[in-house]
Amino acid sequence: MASIELDRVSKIYANGAYGVRDVDLKIEDGEFVIFLGPSGCGKSTTLRMIAGLESMSAGDLRIGGRSVNNVAPRDRNVAVVFQSYALYPHMSVWHNMAFGLKMRGVALSEIDSKVAKAADLLGLNHLLQRKPGALSGGQRQRVALGRAIVREPEAFLLDEPLSNLDAQLRAEMRLELVKLHRRLGRTIVHVTHDQVEAMTMGDRICIMREGRMIQTGRPLDVYANPADTFVARFLATPPMNLIPARLEHEGEKLVVRIDSETSVTVPDKHYLPYVQKAGGPITAGIRAEDIYETRERPDWQHIRVKVVAVEALGAENILIGQLGRDKPIEIQARLGRHVFAPVDSMIDLYVDVEPMHLFDSETGKAVARPPLPVGR
Amino acid sequence: MRKFGLHFGLILACVVVLLPPLWALRTSLVPESMSYSTEIFPAFTLDNYTGLFAKNRFGTFYVNSLIVALGSVIVALPFAACTGYAFARFRTGGRFARFAVLATQMLPPVALVLPAFALLRGAGLTNSLPGLILVYSALNLPFLTWILMGFFEGVPVDMEWAAMTDGATAWGAFWRIVLPISLPGLAAAGVLGFILSWNEFLFALVLSGPQTATIPVSLAALQTSNGVQIAKVSAGVVLAILPLVIASRFIQRFIIQGLTFGGVK
Repeated sequence: MASIELDRVSKIYANGAYGVRDVDLKIEDGEFVIFLGPSGCGKSTTLRMIAGLESMSAGDLRIGGRSVNNVAPRDRNVAVVFQSYALYPHMSVWHNMAFGLKMRGVALSEIDSKVAKAADLLGLNHLLQRKPGALSGGQRQRVALGRAIVREPEAFLLDEPLSNLDAQLRAEMRLELVKLHRRLGRTIVHVTHDQVEAMTMGDRICIMREGRMIQTGRPLDVYANPADTFVARFLATPPMNLIPARLEHEGEKLVVRIDSETSVTVPDKHYLPYVQKAGGPITAGIRAEDIYETRERPDWQHIRVKVVAVEALGAENILIGQLGRDKPIEIQARLGRHVFAPVDSMIDLYVDVEPMHLFDSETGKAVARPPLPVGR
Repeated sequence: MRKFGLHFGLILACVVVLLPPLWALRTSLVPESMSYSTEIFPAFTLDNYTGLFAKNRFGTFYVNSLIVALGSVIVALPFAACTGYAFARFRTGGRFARFAVLATQMLPPVALVLPAFALLRGAGLTNSLPGLILVYSALNLPFLTWILMGFFEGVPVDMEWAAMTDGATAWGAFWRIVLPISLPGLAAAGVLGFILSWNEFLFALVLSGPQTATIPVSLAALQTSNGVQIAKVSAGVVLAILPLVIASRFIQRFIIQGLTFGGVK
């Protein structure tokens, strides 16, 4: 059993600044968890505290139900893969992979078979006698993984292991890691600032910001129901459009008024949760993919946008436009690849308002409403 | 034309730097009586070298110098490595300790000679090679510590962390990972320490005796009441700089050889 429990874990630096603040989290045995956040948010620090490489200032940490607050890294039975790979440059690949087993006094014949097995799994057989200096980035990455695997640790802690790879290799390794997790069934904590890794690899993502864990959940759930504007913007490319507006009554309905000419009506089923905010400022969150070039459902709502630029990505076009006349707001829409609009022209677009979120304009927190169902 | 000017300047600079040692080499190979001659090479003899070994016991002093210089490096280097690593990784003693170590290098050596003499006399170690080794080790320690601290700071901490999660203790990570990676740095520091001890004059003069003198002291002794035996002095100088020339070849190779050669990224 290698569940990992963090109970109000904090890291306070000598100058009194919080690196990590009151993190509560229970990672189940065999779970693949992603720590996601911008650089400096405390995700790597949290990982290092789990590994025992960084001391905790407060809180309680349990691995497999056992408190490990005062347990040395070597006795926690976790393996860390570092962003820099941290291979031992003076040792061959074989010795790099065997090092952990040697330190634990495993018999040489057993080391040999375990290294061979891991090398087989990762396709490193022909590289075992090489030194790290003679390997490519992708190969070093595999060796770093291999070094972790041979020890058969209870949990793998991966600290941005893919960030030094080029785009294609990164996509391959993403898949490899997911496969590896399925095969080994061990707990994995993966730290990244890449939202694609976060969305595609883990069972659960934990989004961190300024040392706090602000939202955890299954990737699609978090995507569909962001807790605040930070999560809403961070977890998507292009980021969610955040539009300052006022929430007003209009007859029986609630409308999000963007300016004197532009407004969208709140769907009836969201009337009750949102009515408390009526009459005040609000931030409306509309994802780029919820804006369409044609009206396919009658409840989609019309907006008129001035085209600023179109980024043709091949499979789709990202339209960057200005919404509203008084104080134009820049928005991005993900449109079909056949939609082209000249710069500075006006274009009619349609918003699917059902997934639209409203956020408190001061705190940025999402106004509570029943979560959006996610197709799975 | 500009290139010619540049090369001419460089050649001139080389001549200025190399002329004195070359002239010493020339003087060491001509008879004493012609050593001040303005002729470039009036005659050839090896008498100055043979005389040094036969009459001036240069062989003994050469061995003394080797023992003292090597001994002081062997004694100081392990301590310097541990201290340097502690400074680099654990912030041991804080900034003050680092500064204090460096500050000892700022004292004029003369200020240390008499206390060192008093200490060695108390221990019965004056006029002895172990005494000199001890003093040179102490003199080298701060300098070597400082150099090695720089090398250890260059070792990515990730590697030590990797070793520690792999099952090594902090000492194990230092011994098995950091030290082997830092071998070029250790070698460079060792060579520098060797050169410092080899060249040292003041402490050797005060603390050594007729049997335990080192090369700088024995060279100075050639300056007698009958005048300076310049040809013999030149021969001694040539022999004295020989190990340094060899050592500097080494140090170059080690310093140029990178520190981490591919362990990270």
